Amino acid sequence: MINNTVVELSRWQFASTALYHFLFVPLTLGLTVFLAALETVYVVTGKPIYREMTQFWGKLLLINFALGVATGLTMEFEFGTNWSFYSGFVGDIFGAPLAIEGLMAFFMESTMIGLMIFGWDRLSRGQHLIVTYMVALGSNLSALWILVANGFMQDPQGAIFNPVTMRMELQSFSALIFSHDAQAKFVHTSIAGYVTAAIFVAGVSAFYLLKKRHLEIAKRSFRMATIFGVLSTIGVITLGDALGFIGAHAQPAKIAAMEAMWETEPAPAPFNLAAWPNQAKQENTWALQIPYLLTPLLTHTLDTKIPGIAEIEADNALRIKNGIPAVEALKLLSANPTDPVAMAQFKAHEKDLGYGFLVARYAPDQDVSKATEADIAQAAKDTIPDVFAIYWVFRIMVAFAFLMLAFFVFGVIYSLRNEVEKHPVFLRFALWMIPVPFLACEMGWITAELGRQPWTVYNLLPTWMSASSHSVSYMVFSLVGFVSLYTVFIVIEMYLMVRAIKQGPDAPHGADAGGHGHDKTLGGSVLSGGYAPVHAKTYLNEQSSKEV
Amino acid sequence: MKVIGYFLLFFVLAMILIVLAIILGDAAPWYFAWIIGTGLLILTSAAAGFMFDTQEDKAKGAPQ
Repeated sequence: MINNTVVELSRWQFASTALYHFLFVPLTLGLTVFLAALETVYVVTGKPIYREMTQFWGKLLLINFALGVATGLTMEFEFGTNWSFYSGFVGDIFGAPLAIEGLMAFFMESTMIGLMIFGWDRLSRGQHLIVTYMVALGSNLSALWILVANGFMQDPQGAIFNPVTMRMELQSFSALIFSHDAQAKFVHTSIAGYVTAAIFVAGVSAFYLLKKRHLEIAKRSFRMATIFGVLSTIGVITLGDALGFIGAHAQPAKIAAMEAMWETEPAPAPFNLAAWPNQAKQENTWALQIPYLLTPLLTHTLDTKIPGIAEIEADNALRIKNGIPAVEALKLLSANPTDPVAMAQFKAHEKDLGYGFLVARYAPDQDVSKATEADIAQAAKDTIPDVFAIYWVFRIMVAFAFLMLAFFVFGVIYSLRNEVEKHPVFLRFALWMIPVPFLACEMGWITAELGRQPWTVYNLLPTWMSASSHSVSYMVFSLVGFVSLYTVFIVIEMYLMVRAIKQGPDAPHGADAGGHGHDKTLGGSVLSGGYAPVHAKTYLNEQSSKEV
Repeated sequence: MKVIGYFLLFFVLAMILIVLAIILGDAAPWYFAWIIGTGLLILTSAAAGFMFDTQEDKAKGAPQ
């Protein structure tokens, strides 16, 4: 018998470790790409200030990357330790992208980061730029593979359940990696990382501008970050819309929960701008609606029907009834895999197998043949995720996205007018904006994963079946351990980041350095390696002619 | 001769990229959009840096 407390604790443990881990990931995804932009300017112009900027933001990236890898490591093993049935059931499909993700993160990305940090004096400018681009590519490609794996959980494509081996088997690798959910989710997540990096760079630059330190670096970073950010935010909103469009077809229950839509409304349906969903009564206590907006927003048409929660629940009850014979046939096949009658019964009900599994949770002795109408009704109710939480978490994420867009628009305007220093209130606001993209990313993941419930693999494998059979005390102990350890990691990250930011870029620039960013000091690192920048070479020639 | 060589090299490269774009654009439109979009983001941000330097030089009356 499966212990529901263990399942819930396993969910809490994965959710907490994933949410902690994703506090580090988006900054890495975005900062690597931002560094590529910075170093491009350095290589094209030869101005040492851009090298200094790349090195400074690279130092912050390194702190974040190290702790991101540390928190990500445990998650790879958690699939096996806490979700062993899930790992066995979909290991053939899930294992490949997970392994490639590991290879990308620990070999390509880590190797290239090492070269990027330690290669300044050992590589030519062109070579180093390629390495920086490879770091950006590597970090995002490692995210790609884990999101392909997650895309399979959201919308399983390219695999089929084999009743003889009793597990999912891969049919088409291209269908797996090119699934619409995986594609849109990857781009949405990757660009959300760009937004995070842009806000982070703009916020830290605002700090320097307020303190009147490192002005030349801060002003350039702020300009580049706000332009980078405004375009990224437009991209992330566009991709959010794409994910909604894809989800409307693949996961109607999640979409109905995100919109608190209890009943199927005639198209075009109204949009619940704000509402107070009551899941027990299956209604909104109150709702502020915009007429006709939801249908075009979600389906990009005016006449496509969007099913409400009541309709979805009723359809799912029928699917549960249809799935029960599939589960019964599976039991017969496990005893005799060549039983033709059982195989024919399985094939006839195969598409609703997962729904049959759902009712086993409530059936006496977990035997679906003993399931009553009340058990089926309860299982059908379970197919609707937590509407209140999803509705509001999703809305807060969207509100944050538009807040960031507005911030970047003002940032771009002030920066283009070269008057950003004249707006101290805005600069202070930029500091307060730093946590916003991190929170938005967390909200996005909560929406995606909470909305997928009660499934680990949508329509195929219920969450309650997926967990390992640990004891409650083991789960409590490991949950407390992980949360404590990861909290320490966050504190270390914050401490190191704040210290590095207060310390600032290594060499003085801006008000205290004078000039407009050209390095007049000619540190040894600039001269070594045989690639002294254009302006450094000019300076060197000037010094030589004076000596003559 | 060298120019013709470069022309042919880049021409072939452009053809390969166009074919790849057609295939990728069809099978994986969002991945394709990400590749193009990220490249564009990097270049636009870099252009913002160049623009800042130009504005600074102009404001200080320094030679471009």
